[in-house]
This record gives sequence, C-alpha cells and structure tokens, in this order.
Amino acid sequence: MPEIPLLSTDRAQTTDETDTEPLEDAALLASDIELGYGEEIVVDCEHLVIPDGRVTALVGPNGSGKSTLLKGLSAELSPESGTVLLHGRDVHERSVPALARELGLLDQENDAPGGLTVDDLVTHGRYPHRGFLDPLSEDDYAAIDRAIDLAGIDHLRETALAELSGGQKQLAFIAMALAQDTDVLLLDEPTTYLDLHHQLRVMEVIRTLNDERDVTVCVVLHDLQQATRFAEYLVALEDGAVYDWGPPEEVVTEQLLADVFDVDASVRHDPDGDPHIVPRRAIE
Amino acid sequence: MSRRRRVHDALAPDLDATLASIIGASVLLTVVAGLVQVRYGAYGMSLETAVRALFDRAVWTNPDVLATIVLGQRGAAALGLTADLGTLSDATILVWTSRLPRVLVAGFVGLNLAVSGAVFQAITRNELASPYILGVSSGAGVAVVFTLLFSLGAYLLPLAAVVGGTAAFLLVYAIAWRGGTTPVRLVLAGVVVGTIFNSLQTGLFYFIDSNGVMRTAVAWLAGSLTGVGWPEARIVAVPTLLVVPAALVSARQLDVLLLGERAARSLGMRVEHMRFGLSALAIVAASAAVAVAGLVGFVGLVVPHVVRTFVGSDYRQLMAGCLFAGPALVVVADVFARLALPGTQIPVGVVTGLLGGPYFLLLLRRTDSFTEF
Repeated sequence: MPEIPLLSTDRAQTTDETDTEPLEDAALLASDIELGYGEEIVVDCEHLVIPDGRVTALVGPNGSGKSTLLKGLSAELSPESGTVLLHGRDVHERSVPALARELGLLDQENDAPGGLTVDDLVTHGRYPHRGFLDPLSEDDYAAIDRAIDLAGIDHLRETALAELSGGQKQLAFIAMALAQDTDVLLLDEPTTYLDLHHQLRVMEVIRTLNDERDVTVCVVLHDLQQATRFAEYLVALEDGAVYDWGPPEEVVTEQLLADVFDVDASVRHDPDGDPHIVPRRAIE
Repeated sequence: MSRRRRVHDALAPDLDATLASIIGASVLLTVVAGLVQVRYGAYGMSLETAVRALFDRAVWTNPDVLATIVLGQRGAAALGLTADLGTLSDATILVWTSRLPRVLVAGFVGLNLAVSGAVFQAITRNELASPYILGVSSGAGVAVVFTLLFSLGAYLLPLAAVVGGTAAFLLVYAIAWRGGTTPVRLVLAGVVVGTIFNSLQTGLFYFIDSNGVMRTAVAWLAGSLTGVGWPEARIVAVPTLLVVPAALVSARQLDVLLLGERAARSLGMRVEHMRFGLSALAIVAASAAVAVAGLVGFVGLVVPHVVRTFVGSDYRQLMAGCLFAGPALVVVADVFARLALPGTQIPVGVVTGLLGGPYFLLLLRRTDSFTEF
C-alpha cells in the first residue's frame, strides 16, 4: 500500500504543526483522480484517504464536488484518470455484487414504493448476500434484526413507508444500508432536510455503528459544526480539490471558513479542544 | 437446506388473506365464465350436458382421445397415439374441440399480458405502463398488416407478430441506449418507434382493398379470440410454461429495481443486465399473447393496477395475484365478446377496452393522489 501521510502536505494555509503523523491503514484511497461528467471535470484530487475504522466527514460548500467524489469512491462513476483503491484493490476490479458486500452507499434522496413496510425495505439490504433463488437465511434475519435495532426503529417494523415522517424514513433507509453489513459505508448528506432531533439520531447511529462494529464511515455533511462534533476526520473540499484534511480541531479554522465557505466567522475552542463556529457574515 | 426447499421458498409468496381472496375470487370468476362460455352458443345445451361433456370419461380415461384432441391428429400420431373422435358425443366434440380451447387460450392470454404489464410497470417505474409501452404493439401491428396485405399466408401471422414486436423492442432499446438506459429514455424511445410504426401501419392499411382482409386486420389489431382452437392453445402454452416461474422468481428483482437505479446498484444489482433480462421476459409474455389473440389492450395495464390496489407494491404478491386475475379478466371479457351480440362476435380487445376505460374513470374520480409507486 502506498504510504500516504494522514495529513495533507499541500495545505493552503501555514500551520505550525509538522505534517508527519503516524501512518494508518486506508479503507479507501484515491490517487490522482479526475472525476466528471462528459467533458466537464468536477473533481480533481491528488490523493485522498478515508482512514480505516474511523468516521470521516466530507465538507465543503455547494458545488464543491462532494457528491461527485462519493460517486467516484463507490465506483458509480469511472474516473477519467487515477485510481480508487478499496482495502488496497481497485474498486472497478470488483463485480457489482462483490463491491456491494464490501461497500455500502446511501444516496441523498431515496425513494421507495409507499406501501413497502420498514421490514421489507431493510430486507432488501440483504440483496448482495443472497443468490438468485436463495431464501432468507438465519444470517440474513440476524443482520436485519441488528440493523433495525441499531437504527432504533423496532417499533416501526410493520409500518408502511408512506406513513413515516421524513426522519423516520431516513432511519429506515439507513437500516437498509446497515443490513448490507459492509465494512465501509458512504452516506451522502444523510441529515439534510431532517429536523434537529432526527439529525442527531442519524449521527448517533453512525457513531454507534463505528464504535461497536468498527465500520468505516464516510459521510458528506452540509453542516460544518455537526461534522466537527461527530467525525474524527474532516476532508474539506473546495472546487473539486482537497483543501485540507485532518482532525476537526486542526482543520476547522477561521481561515478555512473564509477560504472555502466564504464566511467570516470566529472559531473558539472549548476546554476539550472541540472547535465552535460562530458565523458573523458572508464574504462577498 | 435442500434444493427443493429453496426453490419452493423463492417461488411461493407469503400467502396472506388479501392475496388469497384475490386468487379465490379470480378462480371463481374464471370457472363461472368458462362454464358460461362452454354452455352457450349457436348450439345450445343445458348446464348438465355441458358439465357432463367436460368431464366425459370417454376423453379423460382415454389417453389416445385426449392426445388427439389436445395435440391434434398429427401431434398425437407422432407420439404413437391415434383415436377416432367420431365415436364421441356431439356435445363432447363441440366442448372439447371448439369451446374449451378458446377458454384456455383466453386464460393464457390474460396471464401473459398481466405479467408483462406488471414487469413493464416496474421497469419504467410507471404504474400506467402497459406491455406495449416499448413498441411491441406497433411492431407487431406493422408486421401483421404487412403479412395480410401481401397475402403471405394467414398461418404466418403469429410468427409475424412476434418477429415484428421483438424487432421493435430491440430498436427501442438501441435508440434509448447511450452508455446505458434510463426508464425515461426507454419510454421516449418507445414513443418514437411507436409513432413511426403506427404511421407505417396506417399507410399499409390504405392499400388494403378487400373487405375480408380489412376485417382480419382490424380483428388482429383490436385483439380477437374468434376461431381460436387447440393449435393456438399450444402456441401460447409453451412460452407460458417459461413465463410463470420466471415471473415469480423475478419478483424480488423487481422490488429492488423499484428502489431506484442507484439504490439497486449500490445493493449489488447489475441494473442494465437485469433490466434487459426482465424486459425480454415481458416481451416473451406479451408476444405469446399477441401471437394468438392480436393486440388485446388494457389487460396488461388494468390487471396489475387493480391487484396493486389490494396487495400493495410488493411484487411477490403482485405477481401471484396477476397470474390469476389476468386470466379472469380475459375469460370474462371473452364471454361478452362471443355472446353479447346474437349472431356475431366482436373482438375481445373491444370489450377489455370498454371495461378498462370506466375503471380508470372511477379511479380518477375516487383517488386524490397517485403515490403508490
């Protein structure tokens, strides 16, 4: 595996710490990838590491290429150049079902027939583990139960999706992705459009998943403050390139907010070292 | 787990009360309509005679007779079975060689159209899709009118319909393909091909000058079961044997496909392969029906729709419901087609259209939102 330092060496601002943290295994490693649609290149990123067994948040303003990068990482989009390695092997080398057993992806917007019950939906998460004619095995039932339990929607098992609130529905879809039982899970803005209660529920599920089952999570988040609270690593994107990355307390600076988000803000650190962002005004 | 158990689990949907009552009602309707069809007609008989003829021991206990009726003189002879049907009673001959096969063909046609419609509704994610949405009807229509116009032989009609329908479907796929397909592109390509082929068909119509040929062409295009017998039953039975298990096995794939293309892919489905395979299954089913009955409309649209309003969009249940409700609709409609006007028969497609239209009117009046899909 190529040796890539955990902290990027090409950071735009000067920081006083040295960029030589101990190396860690990368669950996902993208090198020199260019991703785009047709002629237009949206993401051009020299290297990106999603560390194994951690929660990593991808942050950046609208149009910075977060979702496109996620498509590249999940092999939905083939890079124009460069490679994406999942546990050391190119994602495109795997068959679609094999990839789905290792890497889960939950889209920003999900749609399913309203008549489907939560149980039915979560059962579909077992799709990559079942053959064409295979009935549900004991393993499948166990995985479904675990997923529903982890998402905290036991009481909704028999409820039709049409009767759920937006937040409950999102938890049901997350449970489906959990039932897939993958080592790596990519989530595209799972908290957007949700009320605060459900935003926290979703983030807590992600944390638990990581703590208890050691699943590598890469989550695109809109809300920088939320990202600093729940993620161990942040990757900040600007115009399709990685601006900076590392632990939140190092990445989240007033400079980052000004450069990447065009926001004049003050960043204060509470006694634990967690950054708190107080936005003042938008920079023209 | 044994192989047998696995297959059973994959094929048999959870039988809940709603599905059971749909199946029960459909079977009842089919049987009653079938009995009416067998009893009434130019040669009238009492119900008792009709039932006696149906269960005539001279047929059931005699493989030679049964084979000769079902497979035809030549087919039975190939198996080394021969029988003289002249020894049977008039009622038995009439029921077994003319009226019963028509009921069977109607049932098969309904089954295939319902399955085909259900599959296409999932593939296009459109609950108002019909088996003809990807060009089958227009392709088959042109081929049939062409065959009739140039008097290529009436026996070629089923083949022409299948070839024309399949060609149109492949053309639709080729037009829609751009590094992959999407439901919307497929439907639009279906509209393109449909428009062109329908124009061609209308153009060909213009050159038909015999009244009889015109009537045959109209019967084909509207969908008719007039004059069908055991040869048609054999034509439609063979693909049906493939369609039924394939439809039941495909149900889970359709359920996953309905979650959306990206979701299906991230769950590990090769979406393009699966969509093409499922379309091909639906085309086989539609072609089987078109080959023997012409373009019977509305069945493939209405049946999955009605079943869905009862069982929801779980395709394992929906498919099972369609396998029974489809035959029920066509067998009942064919009773009207054959017996409603004394002295003449109307195409069964006209009847299904007359039943289907009001159903959607009712739906339009009673439903506020269409969000089942």
